[in-house]
Amino acid sequence: MRGLGPLLAPLLLRPLRRDRLRFALTVSGIAVGVATVAAIRLANSSVLSSFSRTVDLVAGKASLTVLADGPGIPEGTLERLAWVRSQGVSLVPALSVTAALGTPDGEVVELLGVDPLSDGSARDYRFASGPRALADAFAVFEPGAVLVSETFAARHGLSRGSPLPLLAGGARRSLHVAGILRAEGVARAASGSLLVADLATVQEVAGRAGWLDRIDLVLPDGAPGAFRDRLAEEVRASLPPTLTVGRPERRNETVDRMVRSFRVNLTALGLIALLVGTYFVYNTVSISVLRRRADIGTVRGLGASARAVFAVFLLEGAALGTLGSLLGVALGTLLARGALAAVGGTATDFYLAAPPPAFRADAGVLLFSFVAGVVASTLSALAPAAEAARVAPAATMRHGSVEAARRRTTRPLALLGLVLLALAAAATRPGPVAGLPVFGFASVFLVVAGASLLAPLAVTAVARRADRPALALLGVEARIARANLTGSLSRTSVAVAALAMGVAMMVAVAVMVGSFRGTVEQWVSQTLKADLFAAPESGRAGRSLGRIPQDALDLLERIPGVAEVDAFLSFEATRDGIPYTVGCGRLEAIARRGNLPMADGRDPRAVAAEALARGEALVSEPFATRFGLGRGDVVRLPAPGGEVPVTIAGVYTDYSNDRGTVTVDRALFRRLFGLDGASSAAIYLSPGVDPEEGRRRVLAALHGRFAIAVRTNATLRAAALALFDRTFAITYALDAIAVAVAVLGVFNTLVALVLERQREIGLLRVLGASAARVERAVRLEAAAIAALGTVLGLAQGGAMAWVLVHVINVQSFGWTIRMEVPGRFLAFSLALVLAATLLSALHPARLAAGTDPAAVLKEE
Amino acid sequence: MGAAVSVREARKTYPGGVEALAGVSFDLSPGTFAALLGPSGCGKSTLLHLLGALEKPTSGSVAVDGHDLAALSEAARDDYRLRRAATVFQLYNLLPTMTALENVALPLLLDGLPRPEAEARAEKGLAEVGLSARKDAFPYELSGGQMQRVAVARALAPRPALLLADEPTGSLDSRSGAQVLDLVGELVAARGVTVVLATHDAAAAGRASRVLRLLDGRLVDG
Repeated sequence: MRGLGPLLAPLLLRPLRRDRLRFALTVSGIAVGVATVAAIRLANSSVLSSFSRTVDLVAGKASLTVLADGPGIPEGTLERLAWVRSQGVSLVPALSVTAALGTPDGEVVELLGVDPLSDGSARDYRFASGPRALADAFAVFEPGAVLVSETFAARHGLSRGSPLPLLAGGARRSLHVAGILRAEGVARAASGSLLVADLATVQEVAGRAGWLDRIDLVLPDGAPGAFRDRLAEEVRASLPPTLTVGRPERRNETVDRMVRSFRVNLTALGLIALLVGTYFVYNTVSISVLRRRADIGTVRGLGASARAVFAVFLLEGAALGTLGSLLGVALGTLLARGALAAVGGTATDFYLAAPPPAFRADAGVLLFSFVAGVVASTLSALAPAAEAARVAPAATMRHGSVEAARRRTTRPLALLGLVLLALAAAATRPGPVAGLPVFGFASVFLVVAGASLLAPLAVTAVARRADRPALALLGVEARIARANLTGSLSRTSVAVAALAMGVAMMVAVAVMVGSFRGTVEQWVSQTLKADLFAAPESGRAGRSLGRIPQDALDLLERIPGVAEVDAFLSFEATRDGIPYTVGCGRLEAIARRGNLPMADGRDPRAVAAEALARGEALVSEPFATRFGLGRGDVVRLPAPGGEVPVTIAGVYTDYSNDRGTVTVDRALFRRLFGLDGASSAAIYLSPGVDPEEGRRRVLAALHGRFAIAVRTNATLRAAALALFDRTFAITYALDAIAVAVAVLGVFNTLVALVLERQREIGLLRVLGASAARVERAVRLEAAAIAALGTVLGLAQGGAMAWVLVHVINVQSFGWTIRMEVPGRFLAFSLALVLAATLLSALHPARLAAGTDPAAVLKEE
Repeated sequence: MGAAVSVREARKTYPGGVEALAGVSFDLSPGTFAALLGPSGCGKSTLLHLLGALEKPTSGSVAVDGHDLAALSEAARDDYRLRRAATVFQLYNLLPTMTALENVALPLLLDGLPRPEAEARAEKGLAEVGLSARKDAFPYELSGGQMQRVAVARALAPRPALLLADEPTGSLDSRSGAQVLDLVGELVAARGVTVVLATHDAAAAGRASRVLRLLDGRLVDG
């Protein structure tokens, strides 16, 4: 732009050098916001890309894959599809299970069972030692033989013949290494933590004899797309509707859906952190404009165009945004690496029990975070830049009149704020869009925007009313502080709004998490009634892997002191590509004990008895919400022989699974799906048997045959809550970031205000105000900002919490939670915010006290 | 009662070797209206800063009522500015974030007066400068002359013994300037306040009972 160049030095670069601290703080504010967004998205994309790489590598050369909506593919399906071989198509069966190593570290691995004779046509195997091709590796046919990748072998010090203990199917298995694969082709799947074995070995180890979980179809070389499409149609026609055929990568979509809510919720929190960061930019550029008013007037007088002036300040916002975003992206990458290394990503714990994902610096994510930071920063500089452009040539307008003009906008702004809050209330009404609480998030952002617009009026109204009592109570310093608060409204109200936003986020998340925890705690105490709980040992996996074999269950029932064993068994199913869980328990036991609270408050005993008598199902609340089904509706269950319609007898509350669960009686489940064993089992002891003693007896009976973890009721409850707390740890971290950014914002504002008011401070000193009194006035100003920000933040946070609990949570996860206010936690956190804000005032207050009145008066 | 001022061989050299005052000596008896006359850069403002205990002389002494200002503690200097010596500047001498009344009441509140008393005295002071009707106006809502009258009212509110005025009419048109000087003349005469008025305007200096001419940091006359 013409005329922009000469303005850069006087209006941008030199002032930038003078105000290094303020600019550094602004850049770090943006950096923290961008880092949060980048870290969350990078961690998620690493998890997803790790999974999708695994899907691609396992799919190999397959063009089509048969997958099951239900518990698996019966082996007989291979026979049913044998006709495709006549068209030159290879059928490659596989079964993969997630298991844990039986080593002390319990690393999670993926065990892939293949048919060594046919598998080479679909997947690529390169041996680092031993045989040249899979079909030659007869050792693989031996029971317990596995192939491992060379990276895995190196990590665990394995060579051919090494024993490899594995926890799978509720037992400790002794496998051995039959060959080592080069880190190419399929051996790179699951970040290298993939073990390949003969199909029969995996079926035996996982207790899934007769089952497959995929059949890959490899087409002849050069087969046209039309051939593939026609084949897919023919295969589909020859299979029951519960088995689907399609491109192998469609599994990625299912996984993406599993983690989507989690990712979207975290990203939204990250964006709020970024929003707080952009307040910094608005604040900094506004202050720059105010401080350089006279200079702007001078350069305008010398012929600089308004557009050039506008461009300079917009450039300032963009430059701050660019620097901050660059730093943020780097910081976010580090954070994401750390997060993946520490927990393997919370999403993996819950949704994908899988080997830990490798970090991947997704260029798209990095670019998104960077651009978001730059765009948000540039946009937030628009208003102050426009203000700069309006400065008349050789302007001598006094600061007071600029602020007075701002003060006149407080009422219209507040009115607009109220309109936004009304819109926020309206946005809580519509349902989810494509399964996501889009309007709920809009509502939260409208609450933030509306409350921010109310901040200037809140500051002036409170300052006016508090002036006299504060003067009487705290002395003349309170009046000086009051005058500064309202006199620099454009900056102080922004600091108040930013702090309020940080506090609101903290309050909202604390109330949401606290409510959730309270609800879950109560639900756990209602549902976990048994004395002991058994689940397969699963090493380091966040949830239990595989099943307890049926003979272990039979054994449990025979142990002296065990009164009853209630086994729960489930499998993951999909309905139109959306994942959910099908499970079973003994409805007779629920009818007797009533330990399954119903969402509509009906007596679970009656509902379970009715369901048992009529062969009906109970569905969890998330299932009912996600699929829009309720009592009396029919759900079609994916049995291997075809879909089976089952009527829903009732909806129960469940906080253990947000995908949703359909539960039927164990006998019906067995009949429909032909599965036995248990994912977990509740053990009731005879009266008078101590739980610890009972546990010892159970472990002694299982010892040597099964690898089953047995926990007492108290331990399991504690573990459930510990898992809950670990999951929400990241939200607290984001909270802390938002508050820290806001407190930094207060510091930044105060430093700027002190620098800007040096003349006034000098005057105060000439009038006889001591350095100590000037210092106290600044501290009181900070206290007022802190108090106003906290009160406004509490109100704003309360509204946000309501939306999170009653709208976003329900639409994201499908469960209702009871709102609870964690009073002590909130009181403690708010005290911490107040203390941090007051501490942040120490430096600016000292800066003010150190003002040399003679020096500032001489500059006149 | 006005203050007795005694300046002995006062020198002020700033870092970098700029000599603002090169040895100035004079005495003022209580109630004197003295003008410091001289061109820009002759050392007028520096001398006022020394008299206001805002700065210390590099050598020599500045004493008010027999107390050497350089020997006072920081707290005593604050107290001196609060109760004994008031200053009126050329520009921007009101706090822009406070109303006229609040500006005038400020030094009284700083001195620990209860608010009702401070505000009553401030209102009286504004009445004396003819601005009762504008007591709730902010500085940006006042004309230059009105602002300077508020500043005079504020300076005199704590009933100081010494009034230091640094080019108080420098930013005003001649009529407003004359009004402000008339006002200062009347008020200090009635109270017997010692006045030191720094100006480069000979007409303004003509109102003083004693004129001290400064040139290049030295007293050349008076």
